[in-house]
Amino acid sequence: MIETHGLSVGFGAAQALRDIDLTIRPGARIGVVGESGSGKSMLGLSLMGMMPDAAHVSGRLAIDGHEMIGASEAAWRRLRARRVAMIFQEPMAALNPLKRVGDIVAEPLIVHENLGREAARARALDLFREVGLPDPEARLRQFPHELSGGQRQRILIALALACDPDLLIADEPTTALDANVALRVTELLVELSQQRNMALMFISHDLTAVARATSELLVLYGGTVVEQGATGQVLAAPRHPYTQGLLAARPRAQALREGGTRRRLPTIPGTVPPLDQLPAGCRFAGRCPVELPHCASVIPSMLDGAACHLLGGGAP
Amino acid sequence: MRRLPANLMIGGVLVALVVGFAALSLVWTPHPEGVLNIRGKFAPPSATYWLGTDQLGRDLVTQLMAGARNSMTVALIAVLLGGSIGTFLGLLASAIGGWIEDLVMRIADISFAFPTLLFAIMLAAVLGPSLQNAVLAIAFINIPVFARVSRAAANQIWTREYVFAARAAGMGRFAISRDHILPNIAAPVIVQATIEFAVAILAEAALSYLGLGAQPPASSWGRMLSEAQTLMYLAPQLAIWPGLCIVTAVLGFGLLGDGLRDVTDPRLARQR
Repeated sequence: MIETHGLSVGFGAAQALRDIDLTIRPGARIGVVGESGSGKSMLGLSLMGMMPDAAHVSGRLAIDGHEMIGASEAAWRRLRARRVAMIFQEPMAALNPLKRVGDIVAEPLIVHENLGREAARARALDLFREVGLPDPEARLRQFPHELSGGQRQRILIALALACDPDLLIADEPTTALDANVALRVTELLVELSQQRNMALMFISHDLTAVARATSELLVLYGGTVVEQGATGQVLAAPRHPYTQGLLAARPRAQALREGGTRRRLPTIPGTVPPLDQLPAGCRFAGRCPVELPHCASVIPSMLDGAACHLLGGGAP
Repeated sequence: MRRLPANLMIGGVLVALVVGFAALSLVWTPHPEGVLNIRGKFAPPSATYWLGTDQLGRDLVTQLMAGARNSMTVALIAVLLGGSIGTFLGLLASAIGGWIEDLVMRIADISFAFPTLLFAIMLAAVLGPSLQNAVLAIAFINIPVFARVSRAAANQIWTREYVFAARAAGMGRFAISRDHILPNIAAPVIVQATIEFAVAILAEAALSYLGLGAQPPASSWGRMLSEAQTLMYLAPQLAIWPGLCIVTAVLGFGLLGDGLRDVTDPRLARQR
């Protein structure tokens, strides 16, 4: 069980995350969506205690009841891999090119579980089977460059699962993979989460993959949660103007063909401003199509899963 | 297959020659080592004495081979010793960071302010003239060189995503240094070791020339040079041959190191 309350991460004047309240129960599958720079990855990293050194963190973050804000690197190291594990966007870059993948997966077992080299290898082999790598015995002795992108991502998943974590954070795990492989990796993550009763935080740009993989959804913008709720509900009936814009900006084959003319894909005007130039109130102010005068100065509160002044969140 | 650079090929051949020469002396020399034959001194080249004999009637080829062996041994031990300590310090500085990294690197900077050979001479003079102390002195001047090279390379590897992934897997910075950083900085460290090998050979020759290295009766190229100095007009070949050996060895290792760098450094490879 992982709980955050008012979790904020800042770099000088810039705020990367603001007042994140989040509860992750065992087996929960939570999607995190938002534009680049919305704080998705920073949220994942803060749950691992792996923010850059310059970050100042405030609020509360409890992992199994232990308060982790201000915890030492050594305390975090004991939790990493065992409680919270992570997989990355670019599986090739996340694997040491000079090490055999079997050894890469065996490492945390030797470090954390005090297993001998042979026992750790045997566990690695079991994990390779569990993540569905073909011909797992032969894989143990291969180097990362000998594997395909999907196989590399499966190795990273095996590495993350090695110490049986309670939460697996998948930071855009399918972005670097082609559609077919991405689908199978997504399905694998869901299966593993269900079989192990392991919570999954699925960070992605890909709303289809998020819909497939998760039961809860967080929509992030400018380091704040603008909307949260059951994935199906949020995607079917988005309430926050940002979520509506995000969903409208999805390409759909059907919409393209409507009326026989090609329709221009709707977009959210503008780009996410630099972190230190975000409005003090609602972060979406300035790009919002239905903005009220006080939106930019007053922080909206979360009401029925959406943080928006229009929906009654903290109107003066 | 890309053609290997010329410096690598020439360096490799010269190094193979010198190392082969040194290795051969372990099992065979044309004459037993250190045997004097005063009556046969300054003998010209002949079938028995291929390059003739020196002022004490010792066979020159045998002396040169033993000198090669001593020179290689000194350079090998000194570079291994200084290189391991220096690389360890560089890795450590890079892993810990902060003021400890600054401290280690500033000490290295200060040591670079002293001319290396003079520093080795000073050390050997303080410790007393012997081959062991020459090895220690040469090893010592190698420490900051390797600390700097390995720390720079390690800092680069620390930014890689697989290091990040290893941290996410709960590995500490020392385990990461050993398992991930060290294998990935091996290439620049080995290149540096090859170049430092040339420097060490030169340093050993210089120390022995000054009487701070190999002591009689052990043979050394540097000592052969200094003994031949007074006999320059009488028997110039006694200075020419060890000099040629030093040039060959230093040039060989220098070229080999440069060649290895050309092959292993991707930035240089793109320029070609």
